[in-house]
Amino acid sequence: MSGSIARKVLVKGENGLHLVPCSQIAQCAGGFDCEIQILKGDRTVDASNIFDLMSLNAGHGCQLELQATGPGSDEAVASLAELFESGFQGHVKRAD
Amino acid sequence: MQTRSGIAVSPGVAIGQALLFGAEGFQIPQRFVSVDAVDSEIGRFQSAVDAVSAGLEENQRVASERLGDEYAAIFGAHRMMLRDRKLIGEIEGLIRSKCFSPEFAASRVLRNYAKVFQNLGNPYLAERAADVFDLEKRLLRTLLGEKRPELSHLTEHVIILAHNLTPSETAGLDPDFVLGFATEVGGRTSHTAILAGALELPAVVGVGNFLADVSPGEMVIIDGVRGEVIIDPDEATLAKYRASLESQKQENARLAELHELPATTPDGVRIQVMGNIEFPQEVAHCTERGADGIGLYRTEFLYLGSKTEPTEEDHYNAYRQVLDSMSDRPVVIRTLDLGADKVPASAAAFYDEIDNPALGLRSIRLSLRDTPQFKIQLRAILRAAVHGDVRIMFPLVTSLLELRKAKMILGDVVEDLDDAGIEFKREVPVGMMVEVPAAVMLADEFAREVDFFSIGTNDLIQYALAVDRSDPNVSSLYRAGDPSILRLIQMVVDAANRHGINVTVCGQMSSDPRFIPLLVGMGLRTLSVTPISIPEVKDIIRHVSVEQADEIARHALALDIARDVENYLRGELSRIHPDHSPVD
Repeated sequence: MSGSIARKVLVKGENGLHLVPCSQIAQCAGGFDCEIQILKGDRTVDASNIFDLMSLNAGHGCQLELQATGPGSDEAVASLAELFESGFQGHVKRAD
Repeated sequence: MQTRSGIAVSPGVAIGQALLFGAEGFQIPQRFVSVDAVDSEIGRFQSAVDAVSAGLEENQRVASERLGDEYAAIFGAHRMMLRDRKLIGEIEGLIRSKCFSPEFAASRVLRNYAKVFQNLGNPYLAERAADVFDLEKRLLRTLLGEKRPELSHLTEHVIILAHNLTPSETAGLDPDFVLGFATEVGGRTSHTAILAGALELPAVVGVGNFLADVSPGEMVIIDGVRGEVIIDPDEATLAKYRASLESQKQENARLAELHELPATTPDGVRIQVMGNIEFPQEVAHCTERGADGIGLYRTEFLYLGSKTEPTEEDHYNAYRQVLDSMSDRPVVIRTLDLGADKVPASAAAFYDEIDNPALGLRSIRLSLRDTPQFKIQLRAILRAAVHGDVRIMFPLVTSLLELRKAKMILGDVVEDLDDAGIEFKREVPVGMMVEVPAAVMLADEFAREVDFFSIGTNDLIQYALAVDRSDPNVSSLYRAGDPSILRLIQMVVDAANRHGINVTVCGQMSSDPRFIPLLVGMGLRTLSVTPISIPEVKDIIRHVSVEQADEIARHALALDIARDVENYLRGELSRIHPDHSPVD
């Protein structure tokens, strides 16, 4: 289905959105056709861009909002929310 | 535009493209590509990205097997960064729109990202800049492949920016292509700095960490007078420095006309102006400027460049080359002064273990310990002495016993040569460097046993003021104008005069225009200076009478802090000769 969807998430993990979590978010977001954005306060970044994600400087306990527009928005936001929920544990995909 | 300050060690201005010489030693040979090549360069960039990505994948696989997924994830993250569409888009955009080489474009974009991380105010993310630099390194290494040029085989004009340059690396710089250099570490009188002077390359050392702020190929200016590195200068700055480069050329041309004229004061006192050299090739820098001789011929280069100890013939050939060029003018050969900041590659490990090399086994102490090597050098000097006016000088002499031992070994060498029937010169004047405060205190005693003194101000200042000249934390305390230094020098000059022996100042102090009138006023009639300073020193001498100089010395010696001495001398210099007022 297509459309627009938004959901609030909380950053878990001691170091916040550091390199590895950002890479996981970017990888996950890159797997969908919809446009996914992450908002922190008045800043909005592309969820598939690892550098932008890191520049959010989102620490532990920080509240963010996921927004997706386009085909597969529901699924994309759900997957990303799950990633945040897990504290980025156990979702490290092997390259192969 | 960014300006970084360091220590000015070799005067002059250089403007050119940065060639970074980091720990990995890779550098970017080319900043731009031709318009026709843009497509193929983008192709080359994409292949490099694929190759680096494949390498990271392999790292991830290996790390995952050995250490677990948690550790392997970092390589996955690097791969995500590398594959980032926006990043790739920016790099390809620069190649296409600005004709940047892929190397330059990638480096520039990645370094910008690294800067963003560093400026977020989050220490953890700031550290991630290191990941970005790592990615840059991988990309550059792949892009440059085997094309990496050697420092000694450059093909275009560059400015070398390095964390550190060893003396042998500095010596290997090709003066036809290297316009100047700047290093993150090093001090005013480190050997690298002295070599920069020898090569007559504008240089700044001790800048602190700055390499991360420069992209290879970027335009930089080295201001060897102020001790500044200007990165990516704006148009106004560039224009200012281009003008200064031009006036520098004109001033050099003016000074070059002085080379035939003697260094005689307006009231008719002739001052001997000699040159300090390290390499035989530098003799030309002295003769073409009308030097009265070589006041300090350092012999360490024979050891620093090679992995093996030099043979007697190596020494002999080097000395002959200098003597032949100087014909009958005096050449003061200083015996081996290794140790402290001058360590041959072969002995580096040994010296790494020493806590305080400046106070360790160096110079004459080393020669007296390793007598066979010392004798080889002395034999070569005595043999070469047949062909010119040679004088032998021992460095770092601290006690009379050391001096006597060194002279005894010299006596042994004379006997050996005599016995072997080898041609040599028997009567070679023997002198010593006065660079340890202890030797100053005993100057009268030493003066009875040597033919001349040469005051090595670099070490004398370091030992008297207890300042490590290469430590940026205290290098500002290293002041040639300190009243204590002036008095030490005066003691040596007075002792030499009492005993009727010659005395010279050969440290960097005597190359500093401000101190010339003072030194003449203190009674010095011989100065040995960096070759590039010869015309300037002569020019000042030709403008200051001994009477004036005496007055300046009297006044300066009555002042009690270094700053007052130096300010006073600067003022006097601009009164005597406005052209030489330092630009600060």
